[in-house]
Amino acid sequence: MLCALAAIPVLIAVAVRLSSAVPPGRGPAFLDRITQNGLFVGVTAMLVSVPLFLPLTVGVVAGDTVAGEAGLGTLRYLLVAPAGRVRLLLVKYAGAVAFAVAAPLVVALVGAAIGAALFPVGPVTLLSGDSIGADEAMLRLLLIAAYLAVSLMGLSAIGLFMSTLTDVPVGAMASTVVLAVVSQVLDALPQLEWLHPWLFSHYWLDFADLLRQPVAWDSFLTNSLLQGGYVAVFGALAYGRFITKDVLS
Amino acid sequence: MMRKWLRWMPAVAVPAVIAAGVLSGSLPASAGDPLPEKTPQQVLLMMAQHGEKSLSGTLEQSSEIGLPELPKTGPAAASAETAWLELLTGPHTARVYLDGPGKARVQVMDRMAERNAVRNGDELWFYNSKDNTAAHAQLPADAATRHDNRPGTVPTPEDVADKFLAKLDASTEVTVGPDVQVAGRAAYNLVLTPASEVTLVESVAIAVDGASGLPLGVEVKARGQAEPAFSVAFTALTLETPDSGIFNFTPPPGATVEEIPLPAHHEKAAVAPSDAAAAKAAKRPTVTGTGWESVLEFPAGAVALPGQTPPQTEVPDPAAANPLRPDPSVAGGTSSGAAALLEQAAVAVPGGRLVSTSLVNVLILDDGRILAGSVPLERLQAAATQR
Repeated sequence: MLCALAAIPVLIAVAVRLSSAVPPGRGPAFLDRITQNGLFVGVTAMLVSVPLFLPLTVGVVAGDTVAGEAGLGTLRYLLVAPAGRVRLLLVKYAGAVAFAVAAPLVVALVGAAIGAALFPVGPVTLLSGDSIGADEAMLRLLLIAAYLAVSLMGLSAIGLFMSTLTDVPVGAMASTVVLAVVSQVLDALPQLEWLHPWLFSHYWLDFADLLRQPVAWDSFLTNSLLQGGYVAVFGALAYGRFITKDVLS
Repeated sequence: MMRKWLRWMPAVAVPAVIAAGVLSGSLPASAGDPLPEKTPQQVLLMMAQHGEKSLSGTLEQSSEIGLPELPKTGPAAASAETAWLELLTGPHTARVYLDGPGKARVQVMDRMAERNAVRNGDELWFYNSKDNTAAHAQLPADAATRHDNRPGTVPTPEDVADKFLAKLDASTEVTVGPDVQVAGRAAYNLVLTPASEVTLVESVAIAVDGASGLPLGVEVKARGQAEPAFSVAFTALTLETPDSGIFNFTPPPGATVEEIPLPAHHEKAAVAPSDAAAAKAAKRPTVTGTGWESVLEFPAGAVALPGQTPPQTEVPDPAAANPLRPDPSVAGGTSSGAAALLEQAAVAVPGGRLVSTSLVNVLILDDGRILAGSVPLERLQAAATQR
């Protein structure tokens, strides 16, 4: 799945390389900057993958955690070992989080690499109009990847909870991904404005704040708090469900 | 073996804890010492005397004046004409940096984009990251210092406060409301309430920082509307000199740079984005009514509305000056966002068309005259028939 994610920046870079110049203001943001600076491939790829690809893959991994074992019939063997259900849950969540960290990182690094290979790399223009050197730009790129990793923590916790509800891994994956989409749809409805700050996808696209000069840390902080809340709530729900569950398979 | 319900305790407790935390966080932090009592005059004086020239902060602005929201995406969203109109619809966040009179930077933070205005001494830059364009203007060298060095006749802040109050008193009631919290600072709330029953404005509240006298926010309420029609306030503020590197701006490589020529004796128009206001002033609108009930009347063709080609002066055809006449070029698909907005917002009324917001009504008469005022439509129509 990481390979599938890595294909996104490659696809973008090759498409931009082969096509003529992109007029500014069309298509996804930053797309027109790619020809000037290859590092923007990473940014654009992350921007493109935030609404669907990242939640999709994270949902698949997180939904598979417990339900996958149950579906294969290996869950009861795991629980026979004297490790305890809490520990199993924690390890499973850690695995999902590791993927949530790795996924945006792969997109960013592959994007930067393919961008450097196909386009010139130089000082990067930030949203504020200031320019920073390529090394600092790399740092910002990693920061964005970190931001997205934090953004996906809440979804991972939701996926973990879904995964404890069912023995069918596909069901848990699908419901997690559907929830991510539903959350984004709700976020797009202006009539539900009061709900927006509580949606786990609300700050996903605010990683652009890391591309301002000086960096606006507010959204990073708010996002971390929100995701922490989701992790706490759905972690507790998953705990309650998994501890009380009758494991038959 | 623990009983089953006990194991669900965390799942109940965690949301409860979070809810409690959120509730306690959203309660107004009124525990601080109340500010000493002050009369409106003293608050005004404080505001006029505030010495805070350096600050960095985050401004939150929102408008609920009943205009339709402009499209945020698509080709119409980025047009320069709609940029200022867009500020009138929907919420915005901006970061503001000030260092003395000569250095300022404003960053309007859009989603995945940013608009910048930077002033460093006599250099003035605008930058829009959406289309990667920059504009540069050179201010006259003495623009920054001119205001400070005016000879002798500068009135003291006390005089200004007195005169301001005396002038307001006839039409407006000025009171100091209960203290408010703005950006975590206790602030006086100076409330201006129009005495007139006719005007659409219900009240104007200015939050004045209790410690420094710096105005922290303005809130305009319209009659018959619960949420403020217009509000702008700091959400974060530090009164320290920002890093001087913030004010250094060089257009990024690859950006389209446009040079704005400035008329030599008109530096004020460039300092604030009030080109439209300056243009209006040049056309000399007439004013009827007083105070809050004032109605501005622009003669036919005085205001070139967006999307309208400037009427040619040698053709005294009133229809040509009518901005809402279906112009073939507009109908041909080149209609700008502003013109489209106008088309959408205007409703036909006897004698012309009306653009109605909760704060201001604008009546565009069929003969090309435009009347605007913070009054109901009947007043505008009455003013239109007076002459």
